[in-house]
Amino acid sequence: MSIDQFKFSRRSVLAGGVAGAALLAAPGIVRAQAQTLKIAVLLPQSGYLAQAGQSCHRGALVAPQVLSDLGYKVELVHIDMESNPDVARTQTERAINEGAHCIVGAFDSAGTLAIAQVCEQRQVPLIVNIGAAPQLTEQGYKFLVRNFPTGGMLVKNGLHQIQALIDATKIAPKSAVFLHANDNFGLAQRKGMDALFPKSGLPFKLLESIPYDPKAQDLSVEVTKIRGLNPDLLLVVTRAADAIKLVRDTVRQKFQPMGIISPGAPGLYDEEFYKALGPLADYHIDALPWANPKSKVTQALEAAYTKAQPKFRFAVECFNVGFTFDALMIAGDAFKRAGTTNGPELMKALKDTNLADHVMIGGPIKFDEKGQNNDIPSASVQNRNQTPTVVLPAEVATMTPVLPMPPWQGRK
Amino acid sequence: MIDIWHRLPMRGKMLCLAALAAAIAAPLVADRYLLSVLILVFYFAYLGQAWNLLMGFAGQLSLGHALYLGLGAYTATALWTLFGIGPWIGVFIAIPVAAAAGMIVGWLGWRFAIEGVYFALLTIAFAEFTRIGFDHLQITGASAGLFLSVNSPGSDKWWNLGGGPLLYYYLALILAVAATLLVAWLRRSPLGYRWLAVREDPEAARAAGIDIFRAKMIAMLISASMTAVGGVFYGFYYRNLFPSQVFDIGRSIEIIMAPIIGGLGTVFGPLVGAILLTPLGESLTALMQHFGVNTPGAKSIFYGLTLMVIITLQPSGVWPWLARKLGLDRPRT
Repeated sequence: MSIDQFKFSRRSVLAGGVAGAALLAAPGIVRAQAQTLKIAVLLPQSGYLAQAGQSCHRGALVAPQVLSDLGYKVELVHIDMESNPDVARTQTERAINEGAHCIVGAFDSAGTLAIAQVCEQRQVPLIVNIGAAPQLTEQGYKFLVRNFPTGGMLVKNGLHQIQALIDATKIAPKSAVFLHANDNFGLAQRKGMDALFPKSGLPFKLLESIPYDPKAQDLSVEVTKIRGLNPDLLLVVTRAADAIKLVRDTVRQKFQPMGIISPGAPGLYDEEFYKALGPLADYHIDALPWANPKSKVTQALEAAYTKAQPKFRFAVECFNVGFTFDALMIAGDAFKRAGTTNGPELMKALKDTNLADHVMIGGPIKFDEKGQNNDIPSASVQNRNQTPTVVLPAEVATMTPVLPMPPWQGRK
Repeated sequence: MIDIWHRLPMRGKMLCLAALAAAIAAPLVADRYLLSVLILVFYFAYLGQAWNLLMGFAGQLSLGHALYLGLGAYTATALWTLFGIGPWIGVFIAIPVAAAAGMIVGWLGWRFAIEGVYFALLTIAFAEFTRIGFDHLQITGASAGLFLSVNSPGSDKWWNLGGGPLLYYYLALILAVAATLLVAWLRRSPLGYRWLAVREDPEAARAAGIDIFRAKMIAMLISASMTAVGGVFYGFYYRNLFPSQVFDIGRSIEIIMAPIIGGLGTVFGPLVGAILLTPLGESLTALMQHFGVNTPGAKSIFYGLTLMVIITLQPSGVWPWLARKLGLDRPRT
């Protein structure tokens, strides 16, 4: 073979260049033309946020079948971020390396922000299922959307629900006391309450805000203080364990308020609360985002969830599961419209989301220019027959609210 | 420093140079995921060196090093978000802040003869009440956290630590190498020998004329200052700080794991510990996923069991054993 045979013509160089470029671009093309959206679901399944993370995880486990029935093609990769931002960051890198087109997570704000940085650098969309820090959508991330209310929105919507409850039940409370855990969440809610209550126009006076240590053995001192103030309403920010202590001490001290209402905090609707208190768990109200019992998507999710989790007393865990499922559906919907897994195009489709049928109560899911869904209202969920039951807004309620709550004595 | 280099056996020199060359060249072959793991390796090696100075050499148990990490992180990030002062200047303000905190802890402890586990409790207490203080400090966002914007002017510049993983990789590598060199130098210095004397028998050290209070305070000063630099790295790498996370005792435990597993009171122990621990965690995650084990917490159980096996087999840490195996435990005479 002579050396002349290796001479390159302009045409052969051009053809070779095109072939080379095609070869180099092949993984990207395959990625962009995938038939299924591969979503990495990063949740704190272990560590200090494990309870909530596992609850979200149960929603993610049943989601693919329900989404498939609804016409969305998604494949999920479940990753435990161990309640640790270090792990969240490295596992996001790994998930994207292994072909994840989109990330959903991650329940807590620190972990979510660790993921957000990776997603931003790699241009992979991140859909926040749960994470209340307002800064998540205020830091300028272009590849992040959040379908969850900020802490301020939770308190504001909670106060609106209290007004709605007063209107619906015709009660006339004159005073209230705000009792809150002095942990991170409780202090953030207190801050929101201090800022928003004076502007809320609620027709009663807030006598005092009382912090308590959630690790305390009982809340007898705090309840004694509340009893001395004798408010009509008790507004609380608790977790399940201290909500139990609160009700026990309130009953023990024979203090009977018109109602115990949580303006946007968990604790009063957890299974352990019902198990510990039985009939005394009834009639307390949580004002927070909740699954819409009348939505067809919720009903489909409930059917799948009951099948997957037969030991659970409730059809679906209406907060964690609902938001996690909706985040996955948002991803599936954007993929369906975009027709590609290419990050920037998928992100554009996410920003254009207008999803009317979904699990959580509220209007169509839409995102503003910062990636925040601003239309996530709260519902009033009252414990009835030891089951959290939507009592307001009326259009999605399955029962009407009962206030003042019946006396502690004589409950069955 | 040159003397330390000359004292290394030829095999040790070759290994050090090869490891350094491999670390420098790693980004050429490592993907982003591997790079993110290596960042953590060098970051924990660096922090481990800082803690090892106080515990490994001076014999003072601190279980609250998250205090200095958090103060370093909060000082530098707050200076950036509030006044636009970049991290390269911020670090020189973060260091004295953390060093002052270290001085207060050290002075309170050693001036009033609080030793051993009681000193450890004191360090935890300081970290805890600082956390509670930051939970209520509105200027740094209180419990709701402090956040660095991704689109503020200059935030994407390398001199404001606004780069990608490559920047942080080399930064972590430089920190780990510099800390190892510093520790090696201190170990062979007169101060290092005073620390060892204090660690082994404080009364004998005092009788020999060593000012043990001063020796311990210098150890604390250097350790807290180094940890603060790690805090600046942490703050800009993660770009968000929550008191409940950065001052948490779990963070303090994370810092001490690498030197304990690698070998307390050794120069290379923290490095070897970090090289073992971080990839071990990641490997277990990958293995769990490969075998379809989706039980929450299973990885933590296997991780804990592996650590127990390592500690049982090598109670003095991995490095002393490894050094013996590699023939590196005999300095050249």
